[in-house]
Amino acid sequence: MKREPITGVGLGLRRPHVEQVALAEPGVPFWELAPENLMGDGGREAELTRAIVARTPVVSHGLSLSVGGFDPFEANYLDQLGAFLLASGSPWHSEHLCFSTIDGATTHELLPLPFTRASARHTAARARELKHRLPVPFLLENVTYYSELGAKEMEEAQFITEVLEGADVGWLLDVNNVYVNSLNFGFDPFAWFEGMPLHRVAQLHVAGHDRFGDLVVDTHGATVVPPVVELMRFVLSRIGRPVPVLLERDNAIPPLAQLLAERAALQEAYDLALAAHV
Amino acid sequence: MSEAAEELLLIQRCFADLVLEPGAEAFEADPATFAADRGLGPLHQEAFHRFKDRLLFYRDSVRGALWEPMDRYLPLLQAILEEAEAWEDCQAAFLATRTVASPFYRDVAPTFLGWLAASGWGQDRWPYLLQLAHFELVKELVEHALPGETPAGLQPVPGPRARVVLAAPTQVLAYTFRVHEATFEHPEPEPGPCHLLASRGSDGYVRWRVLTEATAALLVRGQEAPIDEVMEALGLEDLPATLAFLEDLQALGAILGFQ
Repeated sequence: MKREPITGVGLGLRRPHVEQVALAEPGVPFWELAPENLMGDGGREAELTRAIVARTPVVSHGLSLSVGGFDPFEANYLDQLGAFLLASGSPWHSEHLCFSTIDGATTHELLPLPFTRASARHTAARARELKHRLPVPFLLENVTYYSELGAKEMEEAQFITEVLEGADVGWLLDVNNVYVNSLNFGFDPFAWFEGMPLHRVAQLHVAGHDRFGDLVVDTHGATVVPPVVELMRFVLSRIGRPVPVLLERDNAIPPLAQLLAERAALQEAYDLALAAHV
Repeated sequence: MSEAAEELLLIQRCFADLVLEPGAEAFEADPATFAADRGLGPLHQEAFHRFKDRLLFYRDSVRGALWEPMDRYLPLLQAILEEAEAWEDCQAAFLATRTVASPFYRDVAPTFLGWLAASGWGQDRWPYLLQLAHFELVKELVEHALPGETPAGLQPVPGPRARVVLAAPTQVLAYTFRVHEATFEHPEPEPGPCHLLASRGSDGYVRWRVLTEATAALLVRGQEAPIDEVMEALGLEDLPATLAFLEDLQALGAILGFQ
């Protein structure tokens, strides 16, 4: 399935909005969805979602491959995922730079990886394997982490760079995750991008977060705050390409109209950032 | 596996123990010893000590993510076990087995059901627990079942020599407790046979119908043998009424057709 390059600001397709989106396309340039939520699923919502996927550009964003883990990738699952990717026309498949399964048990959570050379090598090798086994380009997303896991040998930025370069894969750059990490670990998020492989960025994520005591958590349950929009504009102007931006919202999901208004405001910021670059 | 990779795996396993083991007392008392007991060296022990509270945040987060489907889909079970202050024990026992293996989040609750069946947890005290959990989950399973293949030569109207072909989402259920009569006011079901039909209509919504033992058997055995033969075996005599009943279920979407 050949489609025009995806650009602009898209939305995550979420259950409460499926019926409404299926009835009338609200002018969102693309939708992002988790293939795990649609593969093998039946019923009305699944059928409506498939109809949306068939008529609208989508990007695929996975949750469960446990790229930094040790459990072997299941051939049957990768076959199903590959078929979904081809059928949906997603230009790529992205996953999180984390681990989520261990010794056959899955946690359904994005767990941090140790920032060590061995961890970077191991994860890069696994990402390289996925790149070869999936029918579309593979991207890795930087995650929020609330704790270092074990003794670190490098900073997160270097770890991400070593994995991306070692695997030779694209980068789904989550701007909110950088911002949340900067709050939790006390660094300058703008300076963080110095030396990062921005040429690998294929997509951005923005989202809202919440503070619980002294910890800021990437909840995807609030409106995107102005500093994250500012960081998005900064990154876009540094990249200088109209890479698509995805507004994530997974908790405290508001009515679609409210999300569309937030998307429109982000689109304005997106257009301004790219216009300024030209 | 290289020594460095083995160390990496030990770190991940140590973390998994922290988030999935029933209690966190050992970690809370001394994170460094917790890490040392799992083969990690002094530098890693120090890191586990330094990030103690943040690592415990992950414990809550993982346990919440894995248990959320039970909170959502099993409200009556939750009401009973919370009343007995056993809901958290149930959670701890389930998570400790580490049986959630599917990459699909929708499989978590069915995995719990499988664990409940295999382990027998709590069923000496609450003998209806498994049946109630099954009943509570069936709606979600029927709602999200794949439609399945439509066999060739299917007829919309039954004849005496036809066999019944159920729609893939349809479930014919038999319980020994009257789980369908449980409510939040009276969540504990009374003992007594109960036969139910759960099916999905063309609008996607799940519909329930209470069956007699004979009609439930007709729907099950009528998939393997002609309707008239099954009727005879079950002592059912009114063929027109039986065929009308089956036709009605076909119109509801519970029956795909007749072969």
